[in-house]
This record gives sequence, C-alpha cells and structure tokens, in this order.
Amino acid sequence: MASALRYPIPLQDALPGWRKRLMERLPLQADSPESYRIHYYDSFDWRLFRCGTALKWEQRDGESRCYLYKLDGGAGIASLPRSEPPPKFAADLPAGRLGQRLSARLGVRALLPLATLEVRSHHLRLKDPEGKTRLRLFLEQHRLREPDKRARLLSKQVRVEPLRGYEKAATEILTLLEDELGLQPEAQDLLLRALAALGKEPATSASKLDIPLEPELRADAALRRILLVLLETMERNEAGTSADLDSEFLHDFRVAVRRTRSALGQLKTVLPRATLARFRREFAWLGTITSPTRDLDVYLLKFGNYQQQLPEEMRADLEPLREFLIRHQREQQALLARQLAGARYRKLKRSWRRYLESPLPQRPGARDARKPILEVARRRTWRMYRRVRREGRAITPDSPATDLHELRKSCKKLRYLMEFFQALFPAAELRKLTRELKSLQDNLGDFQDLEVQTGTLGHYAEQMRAEGHMNPRTERAMQTLQAGLTSGMHEVRSEFEQRFARFSRKPNAQRFQRLFKPE
Amino acid sequence: MKVIASYNIKGGVGKTATAVNLSYLAAWEGSPTLVWDLDPQGAASFYFRVKPKVKGGTVRLLKRKRELDDAIKATDYPRLDLIPADFSYRNMDLTLEHFGKSSNRLRKLIKPLRDEYDYLFIDCPPSISLVSENVFQAADILLVPTIPTTLSLRTLYQLLQFCDSRRYRHLSILPFFSMVDRRKILHRDMVEDPPRMHCRLLANSIPYASEVEQMGVRRAALETYAHSSRAAEAYRALWHELKDLIETNG
Repeated sequence: MASALRYPIPLQDALPGWRKRLMERLPLQADSPESYRIHYYDSFDWRLFRCGTALKWEQRDGESRCYLYKLDGGAGIASLPRSEPPPKFAADLPAGRLGQRLSARLGVRALLPLATLEVRSHHLRLKDPEGKTRLRLFLEQHRLREPDKRARLLSKQVRVEPLRGYEKAATEILTLLEDELGLQPEAQDLLLRALAALGKEPATSASKLDIPLEPELRADAALRRILLVLLETMERNEAGTSADLDSEFLHDFRVAVRRTRSALGQLKTVLPRATLARFRREFAWLGTITSPTRDLDVYLLKFGNYQQQLPEEMRADLEPLREFLIRHQREQQALLARQLAGARYRKLKRSWRRYLESPLPQRPGARDARKPILEVARRRTWRMYRRVRREGRAITPDSPATDLHELRKSCKKLRYLMEFFQALFPAAELRKLTRELKSLQDNLGDFQDLEVQTGTLGHYAEQMRAEGHMNPRTERAMQTLQAGLTSGMHEVRSEFEQRFARFSRKPNAQRFQRLFKPE
Repeated sequence: MKVIASYNIKGGVGKTATAVNLSYLAAWEGSPTLVWDLDPQGAASFYFRVKPKVKGGTVRLLKRKRELDDAIKATDYPRLDLIPADFSYRNMDLTLEHFGKSSNRLRKLIKPLRDEYDYLFIDCPPSISLVSENVFQAADILLVPTIPTTLSLRTLYQLLQFCDSRRYRHLSILPFFSMVDRRKILHRDMVEDPPRMHCRLLANSIPYASEVEQMGVRRAALETYAHSSRAAEAYRALWHELKDLIETNG
C-alpha cells in the first residue's frame, strides 16, 4: 500500500479554482465532489500514537470504513468496512486483520474519540487509454468539529495517492505540483494538525515514574515532589475511573495510591509524624474502597482465559458467573464513583495538595527531613533489599503461603523505592536490577493472584447461591476451575526457588551493594 | 497468506470471474489481496484494465524472487493488486523445466509476499501441465468452478485422481457449481442432488447470468456495477463460505 502525499494550499483559495488549474494542465477526470466525516480515536494513554499509528473512521453516506494507518506517510495497516463507530474495545471487532492489529496495540484499553473533521473532497483521476487509473488526486478541505461550537476551517490540501506499479505518473504530478505550482509537501499527518488546533498534546512515552531529583535535594522536598506526581496520576485517572471507560484507569489510580502509601510507610522519618498518621489513614481508606471493583475487573479480564481452561463442553456453564461478575462490577463501580465524588475524597485531595505545595519548614521535626535525598534513598533501598533477601532465604518448600505474600510485599516496596529514586542512579545498572527483581515479582504475583482467585471464587459461589443464580452445572464448572487454579498455583510455587536463586546471584547482589549500600 | 487458485482443466467455466470477484470481496473486507493472472490469455488483466505485460517476460519473472515484487500493479480497487499476465506465460512449462526441481518454483517465488498480503488468488490457465503442478504445490486451496454437466464432472474426477496420485496433502480441493442454468433440467438435478465425490463440494453455487458476462464489457468486478444482482449475491455467499472454512481450519 503506497503512502499518500499532502500538499497544503492557502486557506483562502477556493477548491474549484484549484481543480480548474490542475485540469488545465493534466488530462484528469473528476468525480462529483463528496462530503464525509473523519473521526479519530486513540486510547487515553495514546497507545496507537506511541507506536506511530492512528485509527480513523471515515463516515460516509455510502460506505463507511475504519482505517488503522501509519502516521508517517499514511500507509494503511488494516481496514474494515463499518457503518457504525469502532467499538469501545478492539476485542469486540469481528475477527480479522483490523481487530488483531488493534488488540495487539491497545490491549484492554478503550478507544476514545480524539477529533472529528468535516471533509469536502474533489476526487480526480489520471487514467490511461484503457481506462485504468494510474494516479488519484484529492482536493480537500477540512473543518474541525467541536461540541457546541461551529466547525472551523482547519486546512485545504492537494492529496496525491500514487499507485503501485505506476510510479512514473506520480513523479510527473509531483514535479508539476512542486516546480510549476509552487506547493510544498507536508510530512505531518492531518490528525496532528487537528490535535494542535484542539490544544491536545499526545504523549510520546508511557506515563512511567521518572521524577527528576538532584542528589543534594532536601529529602522532604524530594519526597513531596514524588508524592505530587503520584497525586497528579490519581487525578488524571479519576474521571476515567468514575466513568468506567476501561479498567486501566482504576488500575493506574490504584497503583498511584499504593505507591503513595508505600512512600509514606518507607520514608516516615522524612515527614512530620502527625501529617503522616492522618494521610496514611486516608490513603488506606482509598485503597480499600477501590479494591472490590478492581477484583471484579480482574476476574472479568481473565474470564476468557478461565473459560479456556475448562473442557469445551463445560465452557458455556460458566456464563452465569460472568453475568454475576458484570452485575456486581456495575454495582461496585457505581458505589466507587459516588465515593470519588464524595466529600471525604475531595477533602483528602485538597488537603494533600495543600500540604505538598506548602513552604518547607525551616526546622522540620522529622529526623531525615533535611538530609540529602541521595543519602536517604540509599539507606532505605539498601535496607529493603536486605529484608527481601532475608525473607526470601527463610522460605522453604514447606513455608506457608503467608510467607510468600510477605516477601511479595517487600519486593513491591523495594521496586517502588527503586522507581521513586531512579534519577539518582545509573539507568543501565538500575535496569538490570529491575529486570531480576521483576522476574521474582512476577512469580510471587502469579502465586498471590491464583491464591486470591481460588479464595474469591469460593465466595462468589456462595454469593451466587444466596442470590439464587447458581445451578448444578455452573457449580461443577466453578469447582473444576478452582481445581485448575489450585494446580496452577502449585506449579507457580515450584518455580519460586529458581527465581529467587537467580535474584540472589552474586553479580546481582554486588550491583545492589554498589548502588545502594550507604558509605 | 492463503493461496487460493482458481483452476479447472477445462476452459470457459468461470475461473477468471471467480478469481476477480472473490479477490475483490477479500480486499473490500480489508485484506490486502493479490491476484496473479497466470493465464497467457490475460482475461483477469483485461478485467482490471491492466496491460498484459510483464517486463522481461516469464524468464525474468521466474529467475529471481525480487522480480515478482516489481511486476505488481495496483488495480483500481484499494488493497487489491495484480501481477498481470504476459503472452510469454504460454511457454512457462518450458521455462520451468529449464530451472530444474521445477514443481516447487512458484511456491518459492511467492514466499516473500507472505507478510504483505492476506490472500493470493491465482487465475490459472486451463489444461494440466507443469504450470498447474506448480500451482498445486504453491496453493492452499484449489477452487474448481464446475459446470453441472456430465463431462465437466468427468474432468473433475480426473483432477481428483491426479492430485490423489501426487499426494498433495496440504491442498484442499474445493469444487463448486458454476454457470448454473436453472432452466436446464440436467443443471437443476445435479445441483439439487450432487453426485458423491472424494472432496468437499461447496454449498454455494454461481448462477449463469448475463451480469457476469458483462464483466468483459464493464471491465470491472461484478460487485461494483451489479451489487444487487443474484450473481453478485452468489459470489458473496461463496466467499463467506470459503472464508469460514479457512477460519475454522486455519
């Protein structure tokens, strides 16, 4: 699929004038002009944009169609005729190229509308004596539509669509446009132009924690900087969480809450005790009220997987569980949305921001408040690393699950510390450490997830019975699933020793020591 | 990429119409699709209004893998490309023979296109030859348009026997009734009560229709000028049946 070329023309020029100008110079055939709309979509975190692609739905009276294409040059990746807007989730598209490619890029994230353009287009073709089109030209005008506003003129352009195998025709046209008519090609896709006009700025990287910190910065100032970033993450994900656009909003919201709680717990010698106690209590509350919805989200996300684990004839029997999950997810979600709109949460946000932005105290009460952040970061991370090692070594094949959970929590704390302070340490070294730690965390996380899921499945079964939504076939399917999860848990458990051994290898230990051991 | 060859030992059974109309539907649904007009008569190229000419002819085309890429032309339909016919294809048998290990040549040649296209439709010349053996090696599916007459069925059995003797395990042979004339008793009887055969007969058939014959005058895919016709509907049904088969069997 060939790339198209865009040549902007002055906004004050009329399209028919340009059509005349082109047709005087070339034997072009014109179709009657058409009007249609282009709607652009991406996920909240710009997943399509970040891999250099965009999704548009061209809405026409006749045939409407979705296109996934490359931003650089506009080459098509996949398309699908579709009379209605794309669904919220790529997984809901019919099986095929577009669904596959979109799912791979978007994962569980929802498609959200970005911009809408009204297009007026004159289609011109250069044909050979056989009547075969050798090149397509479009004279186009785009108006940007915004809710409750009049559409405003965004651009006018000549778009050239060269056809494979007819390169000579393309060269001739480009020479005409550039040399004779003085037009300049524009590399930027129309979507970027629309976004700029709307004041929307696409994110170029994933919103990872990467907080600039200077080694000599006062520890309390550094910590406030980190906590402020986390607060902003919560606020950014709040609307999407309340509206339940997709499950990632709540997930990211909860990660920010957990990181905040971890920072407050790990760095308690940096902030004043009274402040600490109050906010730790409030953030713990925030963690609690967001849990039920997330648990149900996780079940729903994994539901397809669960079904696959069952023998084929049993899969349909699990459907009542899905209905149960959807029903309860809706209830819990609505409850959560109310709580996020409520006074306690609003007050928490307000007072937390006020505190984080208040002037630093001259004589802080907290012991480490004025120490350089590098020193505090080293000490805390080193201590947490040693705890992970100690707890890990104490685990034997007979250890209870609670020991693994404790270790999992410590690993998480260690990981958060390494992320908070990443600006203070060499990135390459940190990456290696993170990789090993992550591999261990994945194992512990899988174990914990399976254990929790086995347990909740029992509760759900009870609840379904109480609500009168259980039948013997579903009950049997759920028991089979539970047994499957338990055996999966044993499998994951058996891998722990090897993962931990990898993590505790000498080069890794030495690296931790080099980076974090206080001098 | 699924390679679908439209083939019959006999001529004039609707091979080209099948390749052109089904490839059009595949591309319309969003799949990058390529048609290779392997018939020196160049009917598919004619329908697509592309000159039946390949630079350097058969010899150059079969020589190097890259040559195929250079021969590709966009049709007037988005996502649908064509490797045009060339009169020198009439000697393709000899050229293939010349290359040695000659029944695998086509398969190797199209390998580099696998990532670029979802489907390759080959419009094959009639007769059974080294070229057809190459097609049988390269294709996943052999679509056999068959007119519901005794003689046509005899030819189909010959083909089945031939493929059986060569053991093309990878190849699904899928005949379907083509140019069905409901006014003829023989056609009607055979379509309603088809004889048993050692392969799957597709459930959908294509009627004998003047709209299909019009393709030569219109030089376009049926769908673009007679979307509501019975014949266009039949091609859509045939394509969906075929696609479902591909999706369920991988």
